[in-house]
Amino acid sequence: MTTVPQPRRPVMFRGARTRAGVGLSGREALLLMIPALLPVLVLSIAPLARGIYLGFTDSRAGLGVPTHFIGIDNFRALVHDSLFVNSFKIGLIWAGSVTAIQFVLALGLALLLSQPLHGRWLARSLALVPWAMPSVLVAIMWKLFFQPQAGILNEALYRAHLPGSNIDWLSDFSWALPAVILVGVWMGMPQTTVALLAGVQSISDDLHEAAATDGASAWQRFRTITLPQLRPVIIAVTTLDLIWNFNSFGVVWVLTQGGPGHATELPMLFAYNEAFKYGQFGYASALGDAMVVVISCFLVLWLWGRLKETSR
Amino acid sequence: MKKFLSAGAVLVLCAALAAAVAQAGPKKQNAVNLTFATYVWQPTTVKAMNDIVAAWNKSHPSIQVQIVPVDVNSVHDKLLTSFVGGSAADIVHDEAADIPGFTQQGYLANLTPLIPKTLKAEIPKSVWDTVNFGHKITGVPIMLQTYNVFANMDLLKQAGIKAPSVAGPWTWDKFRAVAKQLSTNGNYGVCWGLRSPTATIQTLSLNWGGQWNYLENGRWVLKVGPAEQKILQIMHDMIYVDKSVDPAGVGLSGSAVLPSFFAGKCAMTIQGNYNAQGMIEQSPKGFNWAMFPPLKGDSQDQAANPQTLSISQQSQHKSEAMQFIAYALNSQNMAKLAAGDWLIPAAPDAASIVVKSTKHYGSWRAAISAVPSFKKANWVSLTPYPQWKAEVATPAFRSYLSNQISMDDLIKQLTDGWNRIRG
Amino acid sequence: MIVSPRQKRTRAAQYAGLACYVVFLGFPILWMLSVALKGPRELVELHPHLIPKHITFANFGEGLHSYSVLHASWNSLKVAAATSLLTTAISIPAAYVLARRRGLISKLGLGWILISQMFPLVLIIIPLFLLLRHLHLTDSLVGLVFVYVVWTLPFVLWMLQSYVRGIPRDLEEAAIVDGAGRLTTLRTVIAPLLLPGIVVTALFAFIQSWNEFFFALVLLQTPSRTTLTLQLARFVGIEGIVRLGPLAAAALLATLPSLLLFVVIQRFLTRGLLSGAVKG
Repeated sequence: MTTVPQPRRPVMFRGARTRAGVGLSGREALLLMIPALLPVLVLSIAPLARGIYLGFTDSRAGLGVPTHFIGIDNFRALVHDSLFVNSFKIGLIWAGSVTAIQFVLALGLALLLSQPLHGRWLARSLALVPWAMPSVLVAIMWKLFFQPQAGILNEALYRAHLPGSNIDWLSDFSWALPAVILVGVWMGMPQTTVALLAGVQSISDDLHEAAATDGASAWQRFRTITLPQLRPVIIAVTTLDLIWNFNSFGVVWVLTQGGPGHATELPMLFAYNEAFKYGQFGYASALGDAMVVVISCFLVLWLWGRLKETSR
Repeated sequence: MKKFLSAGAVLVLCAALAAAVAQAGPKKQNAVNLTFATYVWQPTTVKAMNDIVAAWNKSHPSIQVQIVPVDVNSVHDKLLTSFVGGSAADIVHDEAADIPGFTQQGYLANLTPLIPKTLKAEIPKSVWDTVNFGHKITGVPIMLQTYNVFANMDLLKQAGIKAPSVAGPWTWDKFRAVAKQLSTNGNYGVCWGLRSPTATIQTLSLNWGGQWNYLENGRWVLKVGPAEQKILQIMHDMIYVDKSVDPAGVGLSGSAVLPSFFAGKCAMTIQGNYNAQGMIEQSPKGFNWAMFPPLKGDSQDQAANPQTLSISQQSQHKSEAMQFIAYALNSQNMAKLAAGDWLIPAAPDAASIVVKSTKHYGSWRAAISAVPSFKKANWVSLTPYPQWKAEVATPAFRSYLSNQISMDDLIKQLTDGWNRIRG
Repeated sequence: MIVSPRQKRTRAAQYAGLACYVVFLGFPILWMLSVALKGPRELVELHPHLIPKHITFANFGEGLHSYSVLHASWNSLKVAAATSLLTTAISIPAAYVLARRRGLISKLGLGWILISQMFPLVLIIIPLFLLLRHLHLTDSLVGLVFVYVVWTLPFVLWMLQSYVRGIPRDLEEAAIVDGAGRLTTLRTVIAPLLLPGIVVTALFAFIQSWNEFFFALVLLQTPSRTTLTLQLARFVGIEGIVRLGPLAAAALLATLPSLLLFVVIQRFLTRGLLSGAVKG
């Protein structure tokens, strides 16, 4: 630990020390920011701007093919493209379901983990494992799980004499999306659980004790103390989850590649196909622009929620 | 703090240097270095390809070839990104139905002036037609496949069914009848993996002359007439009317139904003939299997969709690349590759070498007997085809075969999709 | 203390709930381990068991060998190490500014951090790809490092600035009042206190790059330059149940490094991330 030099000034000058003495000058700030600022401008902001612009062009693959500005033609085509509409529908269903289920499960786990139970360490460690695993490996793992003939799920259903032991989950038109949602929930447990757990643990015990001595049941205490205290965390985590999930690509791509028959084709998968299978860069960028609009709606909801919070 | 930063800087420099070196790869001075992107994946074919390249490199010190393996499941994507990114290999391995788009986008070199006369003469015109785009040849055909019935001969013998011969192949009606007969006691006559059914459906449509795409008033249209509907009807009825096809296998990929086949759950399966290799490797001891000659509709015709070798337009060494291609596809080498993959060589000379030199003589005879049945299919050379296949056809066919949509819905989806993509 | 029957029942229910979670979270991994330990003949059987009849370790050897796992891991290691060092190095001064100065720059910076988390990657990957093509950096690990640096920057900045915020201003003030220059203050006062935060952040950036898939998928083509996640994704599609054993084994081995690192930093991670998330 570094020892901090003790001020050797006479006492009467102490009052002269102001906060402004530590403040960074604008020039200093800029200099310090440059190493990070340059890459951000060149490799993040500039491409992002160009990417948004590409949505208004006819950019596509081809040797020496020029790019023209075509205004909103891409968007007109998108609206009539049933596959686009389908991918957005799937995206919203996916994002909504995964976020909602994940939230309920994570809340339950967070509440359990804040109880004095033996073996919580196991649950807590396991809850973090999905974070450490690359999405590709999560997909491989669940593919093994869902494998129709050599997988454990169908075997378990078979032994329990439950229906469905013949279903090829990831290839079934009705079951592919639910199966993939399950994987999405599993993957998202860590971040939601961690955030909610911190929230739960920050609620002071006094409140609970006071309510308990007043005769409130566990459920009442949960509703009147825990939930309201958690509100800001819930809003923040849910919005972030919604946005992350809507943008999701890796897991579903490895699991089903968007199949069967576009049943699990999330917006990002559709965009990837348009761009890198069919070389339609302008069209894919237009799709990205449309996704941004949806995400902005989520953000607006969050901001509105926060504003309500701070105005309380 | 300084030590930390400088150590960090050294590490970063090392990492960057290592990355740069790793990209360099082995290079000989004063030699032309060609990269060859190929998606061969069966271990026997990989070995055959490696041997061919090694032999070439040894005998041609001034033209060195380096193999760049490509994942067989994402050939199209990888090729597209490498073309767009300017990092494409000199020699590119693809298939005839996939190269029209790349040809139209200008990424593939015109090989017509480059192909040596001997190579041109080796391969029949009907096969050359599949890679000819308005007198511009952009790929050299290597080998082709057919779809064949593989049967569990023990189960057939038990039921007193005789195998077809090359001279007397089964018709589809006979196949249906046999399948129905063998579907008893919880077992099925046929396991058919139809997750990616488009190639199978379209190829087999040629049995009734169904070409799918027709030239009308100078534009290519998609028509799903009786000839095209025939195979769809047969598949659908076998699954839902005859109930002779194992429904659990319908959503699986072609070779993923093999475990059921090996376990005796179904007596027959329809596979690409290259699966003979998989049979040899994976079947349990004592499993008695055979490959039948192609089934017959009005004819035994199947679409020719050969694997191809092309040269990318961005390559700086096109004539050297063609020299290598000519070497790799001479009769001996073509036979080696085809034998490794259990595919039918494009050149008849290579075909006769394969038949003489490999085991499972019976099955190879059945395979090679299909050579006269290869016919040109219109859809193979059309630019919108790859996107239509991936985006429209495969999902629609799967929906139909899963009984989600009717034949009329299917026809509408297919034609609307084709019109939209063709523009 | 007398425990009422109602409390006992509640406890039992809680343990049951915890057990359900443990099964839900841990079982898929267990199954993958089971597949990894099974031989090819057993994998093809129609009715699999959780515990293999004959445990074999052959899959691990084959997984390593046939999937070029070692070479791909080496590539991933190079890329992740370079990314984490570079990103952390350029972030430290910027994080300091963001934490200490409440001006327009920091507002914009924090705004960019938030927004960049939310943009669909497809919007940025196409122009990046085209840009890198001009620099001949597509299909190269160096190009990938540049992309990763910018991609991990937001998170790294966020974490570091929250760590800097945790350092009391008084220490800096005292040093400056004593006549120390800005850089000296950074070096002697901030940096040592920030060191644990730097280590955690660098390791986190390492894990992020190690696990990344989408950019690698688009940018890298040549197998000699694949990263580990990309390499394993290749082999998912390949037919044949027999290949599932080596695939599972390779996947398990691939998880180990990030899992280990994660265990190391997880305590610090939750603290660092949350100080921003809840209050920020």
